[in-house]
Amino acid sequence: MTKYYRTLFATICLAAFSCGASAQNKTIAIGYHAPLSGENAQYGALFRNSATLAVDEFNKSGRLPGVTVQLKFEDSKGESKEGVNIARKFSDDPSILAAIGDFSSGVSMAAGQVYAQTKLPQLSQTASHPDFVKISEYQFRNITTMSYESPLIAKWALANGAKKIAVVAIQNDWGQSVVSNFVDYVKANGGEITDVEMFNPGTRDFRSILTKVARGKPDAIYLGSFYEDGSAFLQQKVQLGLKQQMYGTSSLYSQKLLELAGPAANNLNLSTTFMLDSPEPHVKAFVKDYEARYGSKPDMFAAQAYDATNIVLKAFVAAGGANATRAKVRDAMAATKDFPGVTGVTSFDPKTREPAKLLTKLEIQNGKFVLVK
Amino acid sequence: MFDIFFVQQLVNGLSVGFIYALMAIGFTLIFGVLNVVNFAHGEIYMIGAYAGWLSITIFAPPLFVVILIALAIGALAGFSLERIAFRPFRRFRDEASLKSKAMREATLLSSLAISIIVREVAEKIFGSNMQTIPQDYLLLTPIEIGPLSFASGQFLIFGLSIVMLGGLQWLLKRTRVGLAIRAVANNPMGATYVGINTERTIIATFVIGSTLGATAGLVVGLYQGAIFPAMGFAPGIKAFVAMVMGGLSSIGGAVVCALILGVAEAVTTSFFAQGWGDLVAYVFLIITLIFFPTGLFGGGRERV
Repeated sequence: MTKYYRTLFATICLAAFSCGASAQNKTIAIGYHAPLSGENAQYGALFRNSATLAVDEFNKSGRLPGVTVQLKFEDSKGESKEGVNIARKFSDDPSILAAIGDFSSGVSMAAGQVYAQTKLPQLSQTASHPDFVKISEYQFRNITTMSYESPLIAKWALANGAKKIAVVAIQNDWGQSVVSNFVDYVKANGGEITDVEMFNPGTRDFRSILTKVARGKPDAIYLGSFYEDGSAFLQQKVQLGLKQQMYGTSSLYSQKLLELAGPAANNLNLSTTFMLDSPEPHVKAFVKDYEARYGSKPDMFAAQAYDATNIVLKAFVAAGGANATRAKVRDAMAATKDFPGVTGVTSFDPKTREPAKLLTKLEIQNGKFVLVK
Repeated sequence: MFDIFFVQQLVNGLSVGFIYALMAIGFTLIFGVLNVVNFAHGEIYMIGAYAGWLSITIFAPPLFVVILIALAIGALAGFSLERIAFRPFRRFRDEASLKSKAMREATLLSSLAISIIVREVAEKIFGSNMQTIPQDYLLLTPIEIGPLSFASGQFLIFGLSIVMLGGLQWLLKRTRVGLAIRAVANNPMGATYVGINTERTIIATFVIGSTLGATAGLVVGLYQGAIFPAMGFAPGIKAFVAMVMGGLSSIGGAVVCALILGVAEAVTTSFFAQGWGDLVAYVFLIITLIFFPTGLFGGGRERV
């Protein structure tokens, strides 16, 4: 019996050695933390789906011969203290060269404080708080913020001949950033702001705001809200007989808006980063693969995570694959330029690490989102 | 400043005011009889809207049938509410319990509990988001009169308020049930002694009040294009303010105060930011309480 074991042991050693020698297989990892339980669990599930899809595709493609990329997932439960614990755990794991997460700005920033010290590059697919990327040079995000989107819409409205524009937005942090970025751009570029109206969250009757806005006789109205408030606003605007052009934030891009507002949504101009029925081949392929594997259509959040994972994978390649270090991966991430993501062509500013994307312009026509060229 | 936009703003304000009024009518009726605040009235309003919405999505009947369904469900909801949240506290028939403040406050909390449970259950079943209402049922058809723009729903809400108010006056003044309700409102013990069936009268009050609440919820939901579990909360607060301003037990007073609130909010919005509108409503409340402690239309002994 002992002889048998000895032979077996020798065989295993040999097998392991030969395997290692022939393929020189090295494993490097991405640490991904997101809420997989708790209030935002649905987003974490989407992120995990997309990230797994991206990593499997990458390993199959053989872009890094001899290197297997592993995805290590942790549940942050949407809590900052969990985020910090996971960040410590990831930092102590030498195979992890980059972290992705978290879902909310709050948890991302808590974890970011740890990553800043341990010098592990961190990319969040959704954290839009202005201070997130200011923590250290190790924080990145691939979601655009209002400081990027609002001026773009302002430029579009001015180009369409709107000189006098009124702004209506929800009264919260985000709504404030919608307004300030838009107003600054319009004023700096020869436009006129007739009115800025903030409405309380939960407002369902917009008639008095609309009547007040109409008094200023604007050419266009820019609406910063989510689709529920947005649909009530659009319906009441039509009922009051206001004919102004409508522009909206990307948060209005939802099938639910079309359902709730019906014909009142027509002629709303808005932008988005991810368009489900985009004619572009790489977006089509992503939607098809995702649906085939998970049985549901991806949305903007799934697409953001897919891009985030691919940006990190691309940085792994650029940083030298098997020889990559955390510092090299960080530098490679900072150098991301014209990355052809499913949420648009993405570039990172090497200094501020803020993303720039080509936003897709849409107009609602006959109850459908139609691409504007 | 006093141009056509201002007139439009008054129209907007009156339409908001009538929404508060619709809710305040049922609220005040129940308060007048039991002398307790029914915190679940906002949920009755929501149940009416959901009942109507479900009937629309399932078999798309004409609008008046939808309203009848909301009425029926509202009556049922009112009956159940009284059975679950109010009757258990009337088990004790002795004089001390009947006059006890603690008893009264207990029903205040039990109705609040029911309101939270009903709202959470609705969220679990239907989700907390707004429901999609088929376009044909929305009461948002623009009706233009000169430069002013009205919505079909505004006329319906206006008509409904008048019918409710008139119908209720007729019911209270001309029918036996109404007489019994007024008697119980005035003196529950006395009413019992002269042979009025107090229990049945209280049930009748709940059923009537809740029918009005449910109908209001449906019509307002269709008019605002918004049916969701928390829809009863905001108008419920304003209806409460209107009821207090109107003197707690005067239905006509509550309606007038609801209109004042609606117009004040709209006019405030046209001069300041929208956030100030709510502030004005509560300033009115405080002024009323300081200078007219019994409310603008209170004062009399007789309730309802």
